[in-house]
Amino acid sequence: MNAIELNHLTKRYGKARGIEDVTFQVAQGEIFGFIGPNGAGKSTTIRTLLNFLYPTSGTAKILGKDVVTEAKNLRQHIGYLPSEVHYYDDMKVSELFRFSAGFYPGDSSKHALELAERLQLDTSRKIEDLSFGNKKKVGIIQALMHEPQILILDEPTAGLDPLMQSIFFELLRELQQKGTTIFFSSHYLSEVQKLCNRVAIIKDGRMIKIENMEDLHAKKFKKVHLHFQNKWDQKIRLEGVLQENVTDNSYEFIYNGHTRNLLEQLVNIQFDDVTIEEPSLEEIFMHYYEKEAGENDGL
Amino acid sequence: MMVFKREWKRAQKALWIWTLALGGMTFLIMSVYPQFAENKEQLQELMKLYPEAMLKAFNIDQLGFDSALGFYAIEGYLFVTLFGSIYAAMLAGGMLVKEESDRTIEFLLSKPISRVQVVVQKAAAVALVLVVFNTVLSVINYLGFQVAGDDHIDMVTFTLISLAPLLLHLTFAALAFGLSAFFRKQRLVTSISLAIVLFSYFVSIVASISDKLSKLKWITPFEYVNSAYIIEQASIKPVYLIIMIMIMVISVTAAIMKYMKKDLVI
Repeated sequence: MNAIELNHLTKRYGKARGIEDVTFQVAQGEIFGFIGPNGAGKSTTIRTLLNFLYPTSGTAKILGKDVVTEAKNLRQHIGYLPSEVHYYDDMKVSELFRFSAGFYPGDSSKHALELAERLQLDTSRKIEDLSFGNKKKVGIIQALMHEPQILILDEPTAGLDPLMQSIFFELLRELQQKGTTIFFSSHYLSEVQKLCNRVAIIKDGRMIKIENMEDLHAKKFKKVHLHFQNKWDQKIRLEGVLQENVTDNSYEFIYNGHTRNLLEQLVNIQFDDVTIEEPSLEEIFMHYYEKEAGENDGL
Repeated sequence: MMVFKREWKRAQKALWIWTLALGGMTFLIMSVYPQFAENKEQLQELMKLYPEAMLKAFNIDQLGFDSALGFYAIEGYLFVTLFGSIYAAMLAGGMLVKEESDRTIEFLLSKPISRVQVVVQKAAAVALVLVVFNTVLSVINYLGFQVAGDDHIDMVTFTLISLAPLLLHLTFAALAFGLSAFFRKQRLVTSISLAIVLFSYFVSIVASISDKLSKLKWITPFEYVNSAYIIEQASIKPVYLIIMIMIMVISVTAAIMKYMKKDLVI
């Protein structure tokens, strides 16, 4: 049985872009990344899985149960972190945990306090006084506290500092070892690379690709910016350049291949300054996946 | 029961502010009744000078100031029905929609609770708040009558005149509650709910002044709990009672139906 299963799931509404014919499966115990640029339909998909939105057509199942007809039962087994965390402003953190715990059997508020300690969150404060990052921690804890089988996290790391992010990832890995299925969305490829077994890529409401991380690791991307003091000859041809942008005194491109090869090629260029950075996912989409999708359509 | 408990707790502050404000007002009004009663004749002379329309509008023509109950029905009852209805509409109008406009619904509905449970528990919380509100107001009223010193109060009439505002409040609350299931912004719902209450009040005044427009009384809940009728007949008109109960049932049902199918986060 798949932990999560989407079959031709479509959601259209108003002027906002929805999702169109999305199909994929997440295996139990898998960490599955769902990546795409802003507005691609990540949150729409997730909100449909949680039955905040009703699908226009298609179906989705979690743990073999339909997300619409068995929504209430399913929520028992799901921990959800929304992309924007909004809580009842008048509550203290500890009150929110108690409120949250009240919905589940057993006393999960103890576990919440353990998690709070681990994430260094002061539970005696009022939620409205918390910083964005601390609110995110509240969201993470209330998603994990009842030890759900399925975790659905919508951009979980936005707002967390690097230290917290690594504690959080550690938590997720521990949960995976206990058999928890983790489905999370992100627009940072680097995040996904560290953690996921597989990723689905979505753009403009449509699934573009599902990849094993191992395959994706083979495809390494770098964004390279060369700066020239003076006008340069603009005749350099490098191997592995996907997309380039040439001006009189700069050369910017996305590189796909082994980084060492990149450096070996760069040695021969008379640049004055260089920056090499991780490209945003959007940048890779724009050029790599868009091209590939086009080829698949027979263009 | 988590949602019910939460809403009950959250309503406390406003509940007691409104109760004390309205209770204090009616108590104050009743405590000046003895002075009115002393000068009954002069007062009646004075009333003759008022335009007939105004006497009709406030039921003074039918009730008069000659008993504490009549005095209350003219003066205090207005506060309890009108302002109480405003409170009820604001309370109920925010119940469902505030989760969406504050964007807390994503948190709430990720918990194992069905949408129907959310609606029912919130409706129940509104009902309880209004019952407590009216009960406490009635107790304050009763004390007010004691201070007013009228020898005996007909308990049947007193019970009815206490029950009627509760029915009215529940009616407006149900309307606002039902309405709020159809919107996404709390401010809009609050404005519309208030407009309904004030418009109904306006219609009830117009209907009692003008014979031509008296048919309008059918569309205003204020008329359903007309104090003159209740005091004279010692009853609430059954047809009005049925209309109010129907409004409540239909509104809450509509809220449930709509909420079950609603896309909650966009």
